[in-house]
This record gives sequence, structure tokens and C-alpha cells, in this order.
Amino acid sequence: MKTLSIDLVAGIVLLAAALVLPLTGMDYLVGIAFNLAMWVALTQSWSILSAMTGYVSLGHVVFCGIGAYMVALTTGSLPLAASLGFAGLAAGVSALVIGLPVLRVRGPYFVILTFGLAELVKNVIVQIETGLGQFSRLIFDAPPLNSLYLVMLGLAVAVTVAAVFVRHSKLGRGLIAIRENEEAAEAIGVPVIRLKLIAFVAAAIIPGIVGGVMLLRTSYFEAAQAFDPVISFSIVTMAIVGGSGSARGPILGAFAFVLLSELLWARFPQLYMIILGILLILFILFVPRGLSGLLDRKEARQ
Amino acid sequence: MTILDIQGVSKSFGGIKALSNVSFTVDEGSIFGLMGANGAGKTTLFGVIAGQIKPNTGSVAFRKQVITGKRPDQICRIGISRTFQIVRPFAGISVLDNVIVSALYGAAANNTHAEAREAGLAALEAVGLADAASQMAGELTLSGQKRLEIARALATGAELVLLDEVMAGLTPTEIERMVETLSELRHSRNLTFMLVEHVMGALMQLSDRILALDHGVPIAIGTPTEIAENEEVLKVYFG
Amino acid sequence: MSAQLLFAALVAGSLYALVALGLNLVYGTLRLLNIAHGDLVMIGAYVSFWMLSLFGLPPVLSIFVAAALCGGFGWVIYVGMFRKLLATPALAQRLEANSLILFYGVSVILQNCVALAFTSTARGYQYLNEVHKFAGIAASGNRLMLFGVALALCLGMLLFLRFHLFGWSLRAVIERRDAAAVVGVDVDRVQMVTICIGFAIAGVAGVLVSMTEQITPFMGFPFTIAAFVVIVLGGLGNIFAGIVAGFALGFIETFGVALTSATYRSILIYGLFVGVLLLRPQGLFGKAIKIR
Repeated sequence: MKTLSIDLVAGIVLLAAALVLPLTGMDYLVGIAFNLAMWVALTQSWSILSAMTGYVSLGHVVFCGIGAYMVALTTGSLPLAASLGFAGLAAGVSALVIGLPVLRVRGPYFVILTFGLAELVKNVIVQIETGLGQFSRLIFDAPPLNSLYLVMLGLAVAVTVAAVFVRHSKLGRGLIAIRENEEAAEAIGVPVIRLKLIAFVAAAIIPGIVGGVMLLRTSYFEAAQAFDPVISFSIVTMAIVGGSGSARGPILGAFAFVLLSELLWARFPQLYMIILGILLILFILFVPRGLSGLLDRKEARQ
Repeated sequence: MTILDIQGVSKSFGGIKALSNVSFTVDEGSIFGLMGANGAGKTTLFGVIAGQIKPNTGSVAFRKQVITGKRPDQICRIGISRTFQIVRPFAGISVLDNVIVSALYGAAANNTHAEAREAGLAALEAVGLADAASQMAGELTLSGQKRLEIARALATGAELVLLDEVMAGLTPTEIERMVETLSELRHSRNLTFMLVEHVMGALMQLSDRILALDHGVPIAIGTPTEIAENEEVLKVYFG
Repeated sequence: MSAQLLFAALVAGSLYALVALGLNLVYGTLRLLNIAHGDLVMIGAYVSFWMLSLFGLPPVLSIFVAAALCGGFGWVIYVGMFRKLLATPALAQRLEANSLILFYGVSVILQNCVALAFTSTARGYQYLNEVHKFAGIAASGNRLMLFGVALALCLGMLLFLRFHLFGWSLRAVIERRDAAAVVGVDVDRVQMVTICIGFAIAGVAGVLVSMTEQITPFMGFPFTIAAFVVIVLGGLGNIFAGIVAGFALGFIETFGVALTSATYRSILIYGLFVGVLLLRPQGLFGKAIKIR
């Protein structure tokens, strides 16, 4: 309970700072904060599925891509809010449709399947776009950065609150039981199929909207970029470095990485990826509970 | 009164008959033992009752309701729970959390966390694990994990509990304690148990009736005394 | 069915069979899903390219260099990462999933180190590209060599597993790791040697590929996916069925692309991959996993 209240205070302070930031008028900082909120939202949503159930997804970007594509297709003909809602809906519905067959596949097979699936969807959409003669779609009159930032911040807060809530709910306990031992969970009455599907769909909606907002920020859509597997990889790395044992892990992970990606992703993409890879390996081997696990231990000692 | 009614259940795995035409009934409040050598089909039978294994033919009815074809979680919520021969604890969470999930999702369907916690603690108390409540389940000894299996099955609020070799690997003292625990639970909670056990003494001591299986074929059914004197059983067991 | 197309399918099939063979050995004995496998193919290809351009070493000899380099890398990975992983109970518990993410890290590091060192420019060289005509087929020398070496390695490995004592222990570890240890197989040594062999095979495949295709730092991933399709088709850990499935994939891909267009190649491979995993997560020829 004590750590929860510390986290709550820290969260409120962070949120207040985040809300004041646009008033400073420093677009560069707002841009960084936008990315931070984006990674928090993505990693947090990934955790709801992958950290809770142990079904590790390497294809989370697929939902961003679907969301971005939906916004690219509907913007102009729909009001923006509706377009974004549609993006979340499309991602959720896709998860619902593919969820049943995909979630039958277990363990490592699920991991590679999600990766393959994301690449398949990417290639199909690239083909469709090529077939339509579209190589990239430009988005005109996207909202200014400050409003996009507030939307992204809202998403990050919403998914973080949802993650905290799920962790302490009956649903969350059921998901953890599935992660620990699926047969045993089923044998004590956990409706495993339904719960996995709920987690899968819930984890898909937010990235769908995030994908849409990302698109508005870059203001052009290109399938290979919207479905870039680097995004999935970054999400997994952030979650592992941050630690997936609590809702604050993804936030810590995102903080640790935004600086790195700010400094390196655009200018030295290869170096960025190498560092990501090294950190991923080191954390799995030596800090399996991540930064948040280290904090827990420190708090426990005090 | 009959709580479980099994009629003509057969199951084969790729040509090997694991169960052939097994029929019997279990009375409410009794302890029903299953005996047989390795591969006799005891665990398969548990799988069929609890829904992990679909039988090729035959039916299983719980309180006159046919449950064959239902999923394990549905069967658990109807009121049957089982333990696994090879323990399957939720190793990464605490012992108490293990039983709380069980109480939340099982037949008792406790809706609030407080209720589930209470039911879970009671189940831990019943198997003598109350002191270990805050320990990680993965850190328990084998005997502790066997007890946790039982506690988790009890916490679901099941009326019929299937215990698969919960005494294997325990020391004689631990077995004695387990036998005590089970006979006490049966009376205090009015539970029905089905037991698969290699520990013959315990099986004979606890069971009201015993079914002997040989390569999936039921060869005898009766009280422990009847089974001990049955020629068929003696032939299979002692040649 | 034209003879030319048939030959193309056989060449592609032998390559897939070889790449998948290495992956399958590693999976079978260590239960590690190496998604960096294709990147070892890429390393082999670069070895061949640089050996030829810097020292004029013919690619047929680079086979040994690549095998040694990749095999050595396998040893480093095993000693540096997997002994640690296997020795930490919390990690070993979800070994397959953890290993997969670890290898993902390795894959990303390899790709980007190579891209950083040699740039992302596609490279290639000419070797044995004279055309031989026989039986209605026009075949370049490098493709014939690819086919010959790949086939010889696959058959050699099958014979090795069948007749050599070490091959027996290897099969014992694949089938029953715990039982193998009981009957006196040094599981640790078998695992270490197998990871070296598996990685070396990928390196050799890379040399062969580089004779016929362009080389880029990111060329490996499609091979990983193809190898996964193959071993999922054949059943994870099932060496013989994997080789058969490798040829099957060669045929499906060659004729699939011939019937549609080359732009559908990745969709075909990924589609097959997803389809196979969804329909039969335990492999088409594989045994269903027994639940008890």
C-alpha cells in the first residue's frame, strides 16, 4: 500500500508537469514529451497482454499500423475524433477476429507467430497500396503539436490507469494464473479462452488510437514505416528494461529509452538498435525484474 | 445419493486403449479410490471427469447433469475440481494468491476480494499451509506444493474433489498427516473425494469403495476388504 | 511442369533444407528458438564476399572459414548466454520464450553491427556463373554447386545421426533429454557441439547463398522465417521431416511465384508461416503434444 501511495504522488506530480509543459512553448520539449507519452501508452498496453498473461507479442506494432492506416483512409471524410475512434475500433476488431486462432498457439510459437503476423499484414498492406498506386499518403491540416500531445498524454494516462486497475482486479488475477500455468488455471475455473481474448482486444485498442495520432504527427502514411518492426522491438525492450511486474515498469522503461531514442534513433539508427539489443540481453540475463524490480528491492531494504 | 455417474466411458490414444467401457457411480460424501498399475488409466479417467480429455464414447454426469463435452473451467464452476499428479503451482505468485484466484473463479464464485481471501485462507488452514501464505508458491517443498494443489482444489468451493497421487513422494509422517487431513475435511465440509493413490495403505484406509483398473479395463469394484480378497485383483497385482 | 522450373525448385529447396537443418538441430537439442539464425546466413555471405574481395579466396574455400567463424560464435553464445540462462531457474522456467527474445537481441545486434561496419549497400560477386546445359535445363555453375553442397551436407548429417556415436547421443538428447543424461550422455557437451554445428551450417548456407544472390545486412530475416516454416511443417526437432519439408517449401515458393509474381513472395512465405502455425502448431508431420 505504501509504494502505491508513493507511486500515486509521483504520478500526479509527473502528470502536472506534463500538463504545464505546452505552456512553455518549447516545441522541442513537447515533441520529446509526445514521444514519451507514446511509448508509455504502447508499452503499457503491451503489458496488459504480454506481461500479465505471458503471451509475449513481438508484433504489437500491427495494431498501430492498422490504426494509422484507418486514419489515413478516413481523415478528410470524417471528423478527426471519429477517425481516431475508428482507428481504435479497427484495431480492437482485428484483435477480436484473429484472437481466437492466434491465442491457441502457445509459448514461443505465439511469440514468433505474432512477429510473422505483423510482417504479413505489413506486406499485404504494402501490396494493396502499391496496387492502388499509393506510395505514401499525405495528411493535410493535421492538428498542431500541442493538441496531439494532449491527446497522446490522455491515452498514456488512460492506459496506465487501466493497467493499474486490471492488475488489482479479478480479471488481472485470472490473467496471472494463465501466465503461471494455463492448465491449472483452467482447472480452477478460469475461463482461459475468454480472458485471453479480452486481454488481447484490450491491449489492441490503445495502440490503434496511438497509431492514428502518430500518423497525424508525422503527417504522412507509408505502410513500411507504420508497421516498422523496430516499434515492436522497442516496446518489448522498454517493458523488459522497465520491468513488467507493476504498472510503473513501462513508465520507467519509456523514460530510460526516450532519451536514447531522441539522441540516436534519427541520426544513428544502427547504433540505437545495437544498444537496444545489448540492453535487452543484459536485462533478461541479469535484471529479469527490470528497473521497477530494482526499485522494489531498494524500498524493501529501507 | 449419487453425485457422479459414469457410464461406458472409453478412450484410446492412437490405438492404445487407455479406458475401455468404464462405468461406476460415486455416492455423495464418500471417498472413492482408484487403483491400478502405471498406465492403468487412472489419470486419464480424472482427465475425462474434469474435462481435460474428451472420451471417445460414454458419458459423465454430475448430480444428474451430463458434463461430457464441457470445458475444464465450466466443469470446475459446476462443482468438480482436481489436483495434478505432477504439481502445477502458480509458482511466481504467493501461496495465498494461488488460492485466492481459485476462490474467485471456482464454483463458489466469491465476488469480492475479501470473500475470496477468506475462502482461500480457510483452504490453506485446512491443509496446514496457513503459515506459508505469504511465501512464493515456487519456494514450497514438494510436500507443500502437493498440499497447495489440494488447497487450490478446495478453495474453488467444489463438492467433488479429484486427488491425483497427492501422497506420492511424501514421507510416512507426512502421509499420516495427509490421511488425517482428508478424513477430517470430508466430514467438516461434507466433500466427496476420488483418490488415485499408489500408497496402498492410505488408499485402503481412506476409501469407502475402490475401483481396480487394469490397462483401462475395470476388473473389480467394492469395499477395500472385498478388493483385497478379489481374485482378479490378486492375479493382476501379485501374479 | 518445365524442367527449368523443377530445377529452380530443387535448388531453392536444398537451400531451405540446409538452413532449416541448422535451426532444427539447435531447437531439437537445446529447445532454443534461434531467430538470429538467418543472420548467421548473412554473416556467412559477408565472409565469402570479403574473403574473395580482400584475399581472393574462392568461395568454395570460404565455406570452411564461415563454418569456423559461425561455429565459434555458437560456442561464445552458448558459454556466454545459455549456460547462465539454463542455470537461473526463474529464466529457465520460460526458457523457450526467453531464449527467443535473447536471440532477437542477438539478431538486431548482428544486423546493425554489419550495417554499421559495411553500410547497407547491397553487394555481390561473380563466381562460377558459366551456364551448363543438360536435360533441357540451363544451370549456372554456382547453382549446381549450391545444390550439390547443400544436398551433401543434409545427407551427411542424416548419416551422421544414424551411424556415428555422437549422432546417437544427439538424437537421444533430442528425444528424451532427461533420459539421455541418465544413460550417460554428456548433455552439456552435446548441446555445445550441436549449437556449433547448427551455427556452422547456417554460415555455410550463407556462403552458398552469396554465390547467387545479393548480400545486405538485412537479408537474413527471410531465411529465419523460411526455416521456421520448414521446421514447423516438418515438426520441430524432427530432422528428417525437416529436410523433406525444406524441399516442399522450395517447390511451393518457386511454383507459387511462377504462377503469380515475384512481388507476392514475402506474402506467400509469411502467409504460409502464419497458416502453418495456426493450423498445426505442433507441425504437420509432428506428433501431437500429449497433455496429462
